[in-house]
Amino acid sequence: MGGSGSRLSKELLVEYQDLTFLTKQEILLAHKRFCELLPPDHRSTEESLQARVSFQQIFSLPELKANPFKERICRVFSTSPARDNLSFEDFLDLLSVFSDTATPDIKSHYAFRIFASGICPPDFDDDGTLNRGDLSQLVNSLTGEGEDTQLSASEMKQLIDNILEESDIDRDGTINLSEFQHVISRSPDFASSFKIVL
Amino acid sequence: MEETPAWRPEARGYVGAWSAPQEARAGPSLFSVLNELPSAATVRFRGPGVLPWGALEEQDEDDKRQTQAFMEADHMDLQDPRPSRELPWPMQARRAHRKSLAQNQMARGAGSRADWARKLRRCRQKIRESWRSLRPWAWTLNKIGGQFGAGTESYFSLLRFLLLLNVLAAVLTACMTLLPTWLEGAPPGPPSLGVSSHCGPYNPNPQGLLSFSSQIFNLLSGEGYLEWSPLFYGFYPPRPRLAITYLCSVFVTGLLCLLLILHRSVSGMKQTLLAESGTLTSYSHRVFSAWDFGLCGDVHVRLRQGTILFELQVELEEAAVRRRATGRTLGQEARVWLVRGLLNLLVIGLLGAAFYGVYWAMETSVQLQEEPFVQQTALLKLGVNYLPSVFISGVNFVLPPVFKLLAPLEGYTRSRQVIFILLRTVFLRLASLLVLLFSLWKQITCEGNAEAPDCKACGYNYKELPCWETRLGQEMYKLLIFDLFTGLAVMLLIQFPRKLLCGHCPGALGRFLGTQEFQVPDEVLGLIYAQTVVWVGSFFSPILPLLNTAKFLLLFYLKKFTLFSTCSPASRTFRASTVNFFFPLVLLLGLAISAIPVLYSIFLIPPSKLCGPFREEPSIWSRIPESILSLPQAAQSVLFFLGSQAFAVPLLLLSSILMAYTVALANSYGRLISELQKQVETESRNKVFLAQRAVALSSAPGGL
Repeated sequence: MGGSGSRLSKELLVEYQDLTFLTKQEILLAHKRFCELLPPDHRSTEESLQARVSFQQIFSLPELKANPFKERICRVFSTSPARDNLSFEDFLDLLSVFSDTATPDIKSHYAFRIFASGICPPDFDDDGTLNRGDLSQLVNSLTGEGEDTQLSASEMKQLIDNILEESDIDRDGTINLSEFQHVISRSPDFASSFKIVL
Repeated sequence: MEETPAWRPEARGYVGAWSAPQEARAGPSLFSVLNELPSAATVRFRGPGVLPWGALEEQDEDDKRQTQAFMEADHMDLQDPRPSRELPWPMQARRAHRKSLAQNQMARGAGSRADWARKLRRCRQKIRESWRSLRPWAWTLNKIGGQFGAGTESYFSLLRFLLLLNVLAAVLTACMTLLPTWLEGAPPGPPSLGVSSHCGPYNPNPQGLLSFSSQIFNLLSGEGYLEWSPLFYGFYPPRPRLAITYLCSVFVTGLLCLLLILHRSVSGMKQTLLAESGTLTSYSHRVFSAWDFGLCGDVHVRLRQGTILFELQVELEEAAVRRRATGRTLGQEARVWLVRGLLNLLVIGLLGAAFYGVYWAMETSVQLQEEPFVQQTALLKLGVNYLPSVFISGVNFVLPPVFKLLAPLEGYTRSRQVIFILLRTVFLRLASLLVLLFSLWKQITCEGNAEAPDCKACGYNYKELPCWETRLGQEMYKLLIFDLFTGLAVMLLIQFPRKLLCGHCPGALGRFLGTQEFQVPDEVLGLIYAQTVVWVGSFFSPILPLLNTAKFLLLFYLKKFTLFSTCSPASRTFRASTVNFFFPLVLLLGLAISAIPVLYSIFLIPPSKLCGPFREEPSIWSRIPESILSLPQAAQSVLFFLGSQAFAVPLLLLSSILMAYTVALANSYGRLISELQKQVETESRNKVFLAQRAVALSSAPGGL
């Protein structure tokens, strides 16, 4: 079927509402935006649930276009073996974790995954902890990738030393998930900053 | 068993000695042993049938299945498993989990306690969701937060909260004051011209035809036909039941506002108190919660990146400054403190001058109003009437930038400077209102001297202020209106022209003048000041909350429009947590300050004899004990006991004991936390030691 507004069935909507933190309107809006990324003749309901969208197309969404973490986010939520495309359910997962009502636990878990995944190559840094290399890559993403927007080497070392001093409880030189969640739980701004709304 | 990821040699401390073997090695590496630990495997588990985090396709099949089976058994065992959506697994795994949960539930049968607990939780969730969807402007606030930062969003959220408070106050006042007035028959009109009692004549309504300018003047200053209207206290007839509900409405509104503000600040306080001390985790917080994922647009992202870079550099620099500060010699230290002392004296001098100016303006305004030539020209009369409001607004406009200029000279760190500026501005705003009220009090009670000739007959200055409550209400009404006009004027005459004209100016000047930012702390303090004025005035002018609702509604849309058309995103991220914790406290302070004049008037100043519902009483409060005496004996004794010292002193003692106990408990928890941290450190060292030994043993030639 062509045309606009391919609808999701009621049972599917209820199931999605149960499994994610999104409301009905948010799920429908997400489905609409996802279908817009598909080629025009593949936008039926069944096809949209099976289709996978490449990262380049997801990056065209205005909410993600300028985000310096967009590759990491998409890679973390992708369930394909090669981790290079997103299905509709992955997209819903993404929006659910970044929604208003998601628990701080799950937000901090995914934040850790996003920060701990390096940019290239994909499997190089994904060892489940934030070490100095991960932290320095994170700070560079935060301040900008250009030459003049990065901290100097001494400033970076001082900053990472301070961060490890504050957050590394077991003093092993890396921040694991529980240490990260412990630090984040004391940050009152985290939940409000870890939000994407379509 | 080989592992492909290389071991990074940069780890601190004792682990660092292990170099990275790139080629295959006989026996497992340290990294692989640590990775196999159950704790690490649990964390990486992503659900049945899904690759764990950090795993690759080429991993051994048996190994994978083994870990998975182990994990699944672990999860299904839980008595009260979490709802599926709280698991950090992909959708298909959560679906399977939900199905198996449902099967387990059916197998266990309905009616078990876990079942009811789950249903209750579902119910509570649904209520919370529907409550959340009721809040207006949620989408607008999200959009503002994404573009301008969480601080600006918190301003609008506070504005929405104050709107709720005002709506509730207006509804309560309407039910408890307006309704009873008309229930027992229409209230009488103003006292006619001929009547004169020993407390002086009082004729609020002027006679004859009014010119258009007089009408406008009456509207803006609350005199004329507005003076004897439901807007002000004087209108209400002296009926006993109305008097009680009038008094109770004030107390109920105050209590409701207090509870709502406490509720709002507690959630902000809980998180800020959890942070133990901001300096302990400031770097981690700056890096981990720095990025606002809702930002869209290249320009905003680049701006935010620039802000983050700037703030990180400032923070690192401040650490260096602090280190230098501890190394200061005695002479340098003395000089710094001398400078600080001088600046504080200057600030106190400026504040004193401002307060004296407000006081003088009030006195002159009252004096000038008696002059005949002022009474002829409507415009002059308006100006004289508004003199105190103009002074207060002027002082609030001029002094805060001066504070901002003086603060860097004191040599404190940036964050401390911001706190000092805020404290001084708060003090300025609230104290100038108090000074205005003080000068009014001086007038009403002849400087507290009940024996003065003017006040002897009736207890208050009946010659100049035959109905002093209405006069107080009028002053607050004028402050409210003038505040609205100032806001409009600033928007139309300063912000829009600055954006339109100077956006086209060349060079740095144009850029500096053209980029305006939304100054969150100044705006929030303006809101709190406006609300304090309404709280003070709502006893003397019951419809003031309704007017304030309309004003705040207008303000919301005006500020939103100004924000989107003239402001650029903030160059300094003002943390939402400060707004959510510090400003509700200031709001509480405003509520406490507004209670002072109201309570003083209720208990200590004799009510006017010619107007209002309390005109035959010796004091406004005396109505309550009289009505208590008409209640049954049991209720009377209970109420009198509650007001006696036999109740208050034990209550105070009990509260102090409870507080001391809570403080001791908090201290012991703090000690426990540091002990546990040391224990975690020791355990981690043990774990790495054992893993190293395991690797050494298994790779030794001829090992076990």
